[in-house]
Amino acid sequence: MSAIAIVSSFADDAECAHAIEQLRVAQVGDFNTFSPIPSHRIEHAIGKKKSPVRWIVLAGGISGILTGLAITIGTTYEWRLNAGGKPLLSWPPFIIICFELMVLLGGISGFTSVLALARIPTAEIAPGYNGRFGEDRFGIVVHCDEEQAERIESMMKEAGAEEVVREGV
Amino acid sequence: MSSNPQQAHHERAATKPRPVESVVGNTMQKVATAMIVLGAAEFVVALSRGASAIAWQAYLVNLLFFLGVAQGAVVASAAFYLTQAKWGGSTPYRLGEAFAPFLWVGFFLFFGLYFGRSEIFPWVTHPIPQKAAWLNVPFLFARDGIGLGVMAAVSFAFIRASRGDDARAWSIATDDIELPPPSIRRLAPLLAIVYAVVYSLIAFDLVMSLAPVWRSTLFGWFFFAGAFWSGLVAMVLVATVLRGRLGEHNLFTNPVVMHDYGKMVFAFSVFWVYLVFAQYIVIWYGDLPVETFFIVQRVHHMPWSPLSVACVVLIWLIPFVVLMSVRTKKTPAILGTVSALGLIGMWLERYVLVVPSLSLDAIPFGPTQFFISIGFLGAFLLSAVPGLNRVAQAATSGEPVGDDAE
Repeated sequence: MSAIAIVSSFADDAECAHAIEQLRVAQVGDFNTFSPIPSHRIEHAIGKKKSPVRWIVLAGGISGILTGLAITIGTTYEWRLNAGGKPLLSWPPFIIICFELMVLLGGISGFTSVLALARIPTAEIAPGYNGRFGEDRFGIVVHCDEEQAERIESMMKEAGAEEVVREGV
Repeated sequence: MSSNPQQAHHERAATKPRPVESVVGNTMQKVATAMIVLGAAEFVVALSRGASAIAWQAYLVNLLFFLGVAQGAVVASAAFYLTQAKWGGSTPYRLGEAFAPFLWVGFFLFFGLYFGRSEIFPWVTHPIPQKAAWLNVPFLFARDGIGLGVMAAVSFAFIRASRGDDARAWSIATDDIELPPPSIRRLAPLLAIVYAVVYSLIAFDLVMSLAPVWRSTLFGWFFFAGAFWSGLVAMVLVATVLRGRLGEHNLFTNPVVMHDYGKMVFAFSVFWVYLVFAQYIVIWYGDLPVETFFIVQRVHHMPWSPLSVACVVLIWLIPFVVLMSVRTKKTPAILGTVSALGLIGMWLERYVLVVPSLSLDAIPFGPTQFFISIGFLGAFLLSAVPGLNRVAQAATSGEPVGDDAE
């Protein structure tokens, strides 16, 4: 039963990552991390799997190329203009359209998939969130019960937390 | 733990980095000297046998290539200062500066072209009256000679500053020294600007003027961006080779640093193909015979067409596909192979830029051109020996690496 939330804030992502490692060693599974910046150290400490965004972007990029080919080839056949005696299907200018559409659709699919996977925007603010975790501090919120609270608080302080606050839920 | 003290001593000796002199030393000097002798002998034989056109073509191609590698690497070192790169401590700087002595070798070899001028420059035997004010022998050798001289002088002033204690302290400091020393802050941008100007001039005079009616304003940029990339891949190739030869704890065994090197090879390979395409599309659209013939000869004309394709494959396609993943960038064997292929591709690119203008219907590559190329490679390697020892020293010094290596 997680009756208590322990909110710790860190000034340094290495210390935060260290604290996360300590929590994982102690097998405390129920915690949230807040970070104002994307940090490889924290990601690594949490042991997160690689995000699927890369595959969505790849799919978006490939569909962009295909869209580009469809537009260029399609319009060329629709309006059979002879431009300077060049062959009807001339690939050099097609590359530009395909490249731009690859960037456009790849970018849009990356942006929307990040929003969707991160559940942004959300009306609900995660418990324990503090405005400073969006500015210059890294935060860990551990949900636990009374007996564990003491131990986790000292664990966080030892890992270098600047401030450890206990909140009842 | 071993109880036998002698065995323990041996174990320690095995893990200790080998002395630097044995890494790049006598053997390399001997081999390089032999290569120079071989190349020079073949050059003289070719001239006396009446194969002088073929010999001078190889001379020009190799001069352009090896000068480009040496200068491109020094510019890479300047670029590291300009971007305040601390991801490898002082080693990437030493690596960029390692080939620099060849700049003076190349400077003197450039004047050798004077004796082959009628074999190389078509406008010497068939002058073009409208362009005579620019394309004449004294002016060309004066301006390019001064250009290369200034280039080498600025490069060595930069290298002296870069090897100084202040610059080194900056490159290995993690936080406390914010900007490189003032001499570097003046010389690094100067070097980059002089490089752009002088190597554009070299491209126009020593490559474009071989097809004197052809013109392209982008060509100079394309030429020096390619030389810059060839410098980078030469550095990375050296890094991957030295990695296995410097003992257990050298900088090149750090996968994060190799990842950074791999990213550079990837990025500037894409930049090269971007310039190729930017050049191609404009000429293709305009479709003016005076511009298109240069491309047609190289891309659609046999026997050159497969070589042009090979350049794009070696310089762009292979690095792009292979180095896209983090893991391949961090695998020295793969990164080194891609770099070696890239260097071959870059040599081929210089060959395809120069030779079709002089010998359109046949590829004149044979023993003569091969041995002359070997001679240039020997001169390049010999002049790199002291620099490579500095690289080995820096890479095994165990100095801290800035924490932006990520």
